[in-house]
Amino acid sequence: MKRKVLSLILTTAMTAALLAGCGSSGGAAADGGDAGDSAAAQTEEAAPSSDDGAAAQEEGAAGGSHKLTAWAWDAGFNIPALQAAADDYKANVDPDFELEIVEQSQSEDIENAVTLAGSSGDYSTLPDIFLFQDHWIQRYVADYPDAFVDVADADVNWDDFSQEKLSYSTINGTHYGFPVDNGTVICAYRVDLLDQCGYTIDDLTGISWDDFIKIGQEVYDKTGKYLLSMDGDGNDLVYMMLQAEGVSQFKDGKPNIVNNEKLVEVVNKIIEMVQKNVLYLANDWNGYTNETIVGDMVAGVMNGNWIIPTIEQVAENSGKWEITSMPTLEGGEGYASNGGSSLYVSSNCQDPALAKAFLAYTFGGSTVTYDGALQNGGVITTCISAGKSDVYNQGVEYFNNTPIYADIVAMGANVPVVEQSDYHYTCRQYIAAAIINAINGADVMTELQAAEDQLNFEMGN
Amino acid sequence: MKKKGMNVSAKQRVWGWIYLMPATLLIAVMSFYPIIQAVFTSLKTGSSAKMAWADPISYNYTRMFQDKLFLRSVGNTFLYLIVEVPIMLILAILLAQLLNNKDLKFRGFFRTCVFLPCATSLVSYSLIFKSLFATQGLLNSVLVHLGILQENYNFLGTAGSARVVIILALIWRWTGYNMVFFLAGLQNIEYSVYEAAKIDGASGWQTFWRITVPLLRPTIVMTAIMSINGTLQLFDESMNLTGGGPANATITMSHYIYNNSFGQGVANFGYASAMSFFVFILVAVLSLINMKVGDKRD
Repeated sequence: MKRKVLSLILTTAMTAALLAGCGSSGGAAADGGDAGDSAAAQTEEAAPSSDDGAAAQEEGAAGGSHKLTAWAWDAGFNIPALQAAADDYKANVDPDFELEIVEQSQSEDIENAVTLAGSSGDYSTLPDIFLFQDHWIQRYVADYPDAFVDVADADVNWDDFSQEKLSYSTINGTHYGFPVDNGTVICAYRVDLLDQCGYTIDDLTGISWDDFIKIGQEVYDKTGKYLLSMDGDGNDLVYMMLQAEGVSQFKDGKPNIVNNEKLVEVVNKIIEMVQKNVLYLANDWNGYTNETIVGDMVAGVMNGNWIIPTIEQVAENSGKWEITSMPTLEGGEGYASNGGSSLYVSSNCQDPALAKAFLAYTFGGSTVTYDGALQNGGVITTCISAGKSDVYNQGVEYFNNTPIYADIVAMGANVPVVEQSDYHYTCRQYIAAAIINAINGADVMTELQAAEDQLNFEMGN
Repeated sequence: MKKKGMNVSAKQRVWGWIYLMPATLLIAVMSFYPIIQAVFTSLKTGSSAKMAWADPISYNYTRMFQDKLFLRSVGNTFLYLIVEVPIMLILAILLAQLLNNKDLKFRGFFRTCVFLPCATSLVSYSLIFKSLFATQGLLNSVLVHLGILQENYNFLGTAGSARVVIILALIWRWTGYNMVFFLAGLQNIEYSVYEAAKIDGASGWQTFWRITVPLLRPTIVMTAIMSINGTLQLFDESMNLTGGGPANATITMSHYIYNNSFGQGVANFGYASAMSFFVFILVAVLSLINMKVGDKRD
């Protein structure tokens, strides 16, 4: 009897668990269906009448609807920027406008969603607009051309943007995306620690990497802190240092590694920096941000300016940082850009005219949007005219009250355009592996040759 | 006169089929159908939105043998297999033998302790090992404070030590699991056999090799097959503990397959499926050899 009761309980529990599992997914599916229905309903019920008579209104009437759904990641960065744009459009163009922002936990989620939609041939899962990483977009447009809508006809003055930024989202001469943030590389240094060694920020501006190494050794000896750190597994240094020289890792669509003198020189400098305790290579990205930067192991950080919020996490170092441009091999100020993202209109967008009008009005150059994005999310524009507003010229307390945002926009205009590739991250990974092996004693050229071979293999060359 | 309807055994057979049907259908739809689809996928190339038949049709299969990274992942996996499985199985037998001792106090407690690692999730234990062996982690602090190490050592950033850490983690995680099978096997050995051996003057060592090991043979074969199978499909540790690094020195086959199918921006499903079939064949062949070697009934 006891056994029967026990087995009954077990069976009940398992059935309940099964039902609960299926039930929740069923519910989610139903929710999704509802959302789709209501979106469709809204599209239909929208009146064809024009809203208010402002000049920019032709687009409001175009599709007739007032609601868009957007996917983005990072509640502290991109989402406030989108919110600022939505508020701007609502206040100044279309009072009925509504932007539903769906937060994704990371950029990879959106990439996976596009892959999934493309693999299954069902693009109805995508939102109207979504944010996408710059270094990946070319590959995804090539692989899943049906997921994206070209936006060349949007009402935007494309010349008002950093051409380097646009070179990502422009594919075969056609514009696909609206730039959001700015990946301009900053070199941030702890001026208090430099001061202990007798240097100022100006002594680190426009120098050569050799000088940088000398100063770095001194800083390490006197303060025990590294002048630079990086994620050794996904080493962005090579790309940034090369771009500052105006050189790419690719040439005519093929890897250009072993016969690329500048690249070999850059790699050798990186190895030298590690050996001389100027550069610390963390094992992975978390090690880079949490151990080295937030863990206060470094006196300098060099990366895309989106790294600033990470630097600012160490509250007690407020006012001790300042930023400048990059060193170069021969000396002189270097400029590069790393990372960043743009907004794209999906092929599933019910009202592409509204999406384009919204993005063209806001991220196409509205100072209200960009000021809001900067104040609420620290998102810096690549739009040259929007970067001249008062908000951009305010000093930032954490960075010793220097106007870093205006500085970054100014630096961004100097970033040279270099050849981009669908295989950017693959290349980064193989060169990073070569560097790690070389640091552990392998021959640099053999390792770089292996990296080039593997990359050629992967690209099918 | 012909009897109408079915006789008893025919009825039973029909009901047998009816009871089997749901499970059979589910397995067919959820397992066999995807496996067959994977065969077709493995013969295709291109973006997952518009996959086309490979040209030549065996392209993905020949490609993997020219892929140095894949060959390295095969090498890494076999290194784990050859080093880890024997150590783990020997440890498991010894522990089982110790914990089978009737006079041992707190036997249940010790058994639980050894088995407990198996109750932890693969991801969480990998992450714990990762933080233990981190450059600023517990182990480094302890070793530096004890004066064994001069300065913090980057265990997971150096190829050799990263592999050792993975092997240690595997041993920690799986020894207890295998021990349970050996314990069960030991329960089936009559105590009188040991008594007889004792009377004949066999030492503990002799008893172990001459009685325990031969009588445990089926269990040893089973645990070996399971361990080989599991190690060839090793994924969580490589993914979470070392991320395959440094410089792909610890990447396993499954991890490389994952990178090719679900890695960032790749979605190379054709090639990944082809590599999966390679792993499948490896597992089948190794298990076959193992069964032939282990099977002494002729």
